[in-house]
Amino acid sequence: MNRIKQMINTREAKKLWRNKLALVALAIIMLYLLAALFVMAGGISRVTCDTVIGPNKMPGFYRQDTPEKRYENSTKKFLTKVKRALAAEDVEGALSEVSLGPFTVVNKSPAELEMLVAEVDALAGELNESPNLDIDPSLLPKIADLEAAEAQLKAPLTAWQQFVYDVSILLGTDAQGRSIFLRGIYSIKIAIQIGLVTAIFAVSLGAFLGAAAGYFGGWVDHVVVWIYTTFSSIPNLVLLVVLAYAFTNSAAKDTLLPVYIAFGATFWIGTCRVIRGETLKLKEMEYVHAAQTAGFGPVHILLRYILPNTAHLMLINFSLLLIAAIKSEVILSYLGFGVKNQPSWGIMIRDAGNNGDVVGGFFWEIGFATALMFVLVLAFNILSDALQDAFDPKHV
Amino acid sequence: MWAFIIRKLVYNIPVYLAIIFLLMVLLRQRDPVTGKLGKNATQEDYISKRKEFGLDQPIYLQYGVLLKSIFTFDFSQESWNEPGVTVGEKLRTAVPRSLALTVPALGITTVISIFVAMLSAFYRGRWIDRLLVFCAVLGMSVSFLVYIIFGQYFGAYKLQQWLGTPVFSIHGYESGLLNWPFFMLLPVLISVIVSMGYDTRFYRAVMVEETQADYITTARAKGAPQSKVMFVHMLRNAMIPIVTRVMITLPFLVTGSILLEEFFGIPGMGYVLLSAIRNDDFPVVEGFTAVFAGLFIMSIIATDILYAVFDPRVRLQ
Repeated sequence: MNRIKQMINTREAKKLWRNKLALVALAIIMLYLLAALFVMAGGISRVTCDTVIGPNKMPGFYRQDTPEKRYENSTKKFLTKVKRALAAEDVEGALSEVSLGPFTVVNKSPAELEMLVAEVDALAGELNESPNLDIDPSLLPKIADLEAAEAQLKAPLTAWQQFVYDVSILLGTDAQGRSIFLRGIYSIKIAIQIGLVTAIFAVSLGAFLGAAAGYFGGWVDHVVVWIYTTFSSIPNLVLLVVLAYAFTNSAAKDTLLPVYIAFGATFWIGTCRVIRGETLKLKEMEYVHAAQTAGFGPVHILLRYILPNTAHLMLINFSLLLIAAIKSEVILSYLGFGVKNQPSWGIMIRDAGNNGDVVGGFFWEIGFATALMFVLVLAFNILSDALQDAFDPKHV
Repeated sequence: MWAFIIRKLVYNIPVYLAIIFLLMVLLRQRDPVTGKLGKNATQEDYISKRKEFGLDQPIYLQYGVLLKSIFTFDFSQESWNEPGVTVGEKLRTAVPRSLALTVPALGITTVISIFVAMLSAFYRGRWIDRLLVFCAVLGMSVSFLVYIIFGQYFGAYKLQQWLGTPVFSIHGYESGLLNWPFFMLLPVLISVIVSMGYDTRFYRAVMVEETQADYITTARAKGAPQSKVMFVHMLRNAMIPIVTRVMITLPFLVTGSILLEEFFGIPGMGYVLLSAIRNDDFPVVEGFTAVFAGLFIMSIIATDILYAVFDPRVRLQ
């Protein structure tokens, strides 16, 4: 407890505390962390993100789907599933399994359902005869009837389900009809997870190797410098891509492991350089000499006297690496080497580009992913600057 | 100085050997043969293809063959995906295209950001400085991808719609000096905007450090005009970090920009490299990385030498 009090009472911490912008940034980061924890606790699952929740729709108030599209939505998606279930052998069982996003089949007997389906089919049949639904405005009421008839097949949502549904289509759906909002929020967890894991790993490895190289010198130093020169002489993106690609045929290919390894292998270099330089300076300090004279071993000196005095550098590097990891993840996922089988901001940006959303002037998917990432990275940037101002003001 | 250069070169040989070995081992985690043979290949086809690629030999022999070709500057190995095209030819065609994109981008970025940084350092702490720094942080927080996607959408696609004629190419490339603005100007501009934030902040930090130095106070006390203090005294002394930064960036000019080249369909080095990795074209990846790593090591040595040129206090040891 006293130690924590000591930490808060340092001049640097007070300086940080006075920086209001940095505090706002910290609060925003906390919000993101909460969102990530919410997702981790099962608030939004991977399945939810992949579930087609409805027709392709723009958010809220403007531009409805074309009549042709509305006709298709009412006759294809849910109706087909119900028809298939009605034709199955175990009708009751098949019906209970039908679901489209939050919608399930209304609790009625198969016979009644057949009648409802027939009604929808009759309406659809009428519309089917007209050559072009998009041109003839007199058909619009009929399409509304069709939609209403189809809605009767769906079990009414509870208030909570309705609320969740409304929230999830708040920002519209992507080209496959998946909720943009849910996917964006889920991606927060992916970004934070990748950022934290790689930053923790890279900072620990970099600090360990850097301190060892700086303190022991000699061949240890040569080996460490040799390793990091080697890694930094391969173009970063090539190394990332080759590392991530080396896993394509292994069992781990669909997990985040390749991304962790690729980032972990490349990101420790900067920290290692900085800590090595600082250790070279610190080991000539009088208190280190005193500890050596008192007979403490090198491990004790490193852990007790040197590494704690590089903590501020580790903190700054940690923050910088988080930013780097989040940004690189987006680019790597975009290129198809990063996150797979689950949403991430990079994948959302790629989808928006590939599905012609951007060319069609539909910016909600790319916009939401970008905005979420922008705010998080901006907050981290501001925080790193504040940390640097407070702890390492002479840094260039 | 020559002794310094030679010692540095010798010191970096193990680094170079390790780079090549690391890349070879990483690449060989994948099986390039199965994908190239197609579905109906027999076991014999597989074995003969591996033999053709030289993959049946133990790794140290493959390593030896590769090292021999690198140290004799022999890039006549054929690409696995395009039989008949050698690695050297690929490099020769792709590198100038990348340079046409990256060299102007680096030049423009460096000049503009040095000026902005000097402005910022001159008005340090005033609103103009804060505004510039904040803009730099804002610019750094947006993903590179977003700059490219929106740059392409508004700069090429929308502009073409508004004006009725294409101003910038959306996708594709033709060589030639007259074609340069049409195909390259937009990617160059995007690249400049992306790197402005990082460079401005770095150069500003350098300049701020310099403004606090004693010689600036002395120059001011002697009554030197402000412009002279800024451009003659300060800029000259800030050259060391500037040169270091530019020198370290130089090898990356050759890699091109994978993302920009991918989006704008410029078949430069980044594009070639990415497709080589995707298609398991090992000779191209290896040949290219060998060239890059060589350039990188040389640029580090050159930076050390330039230090001594710009700062007489630095001795090469």
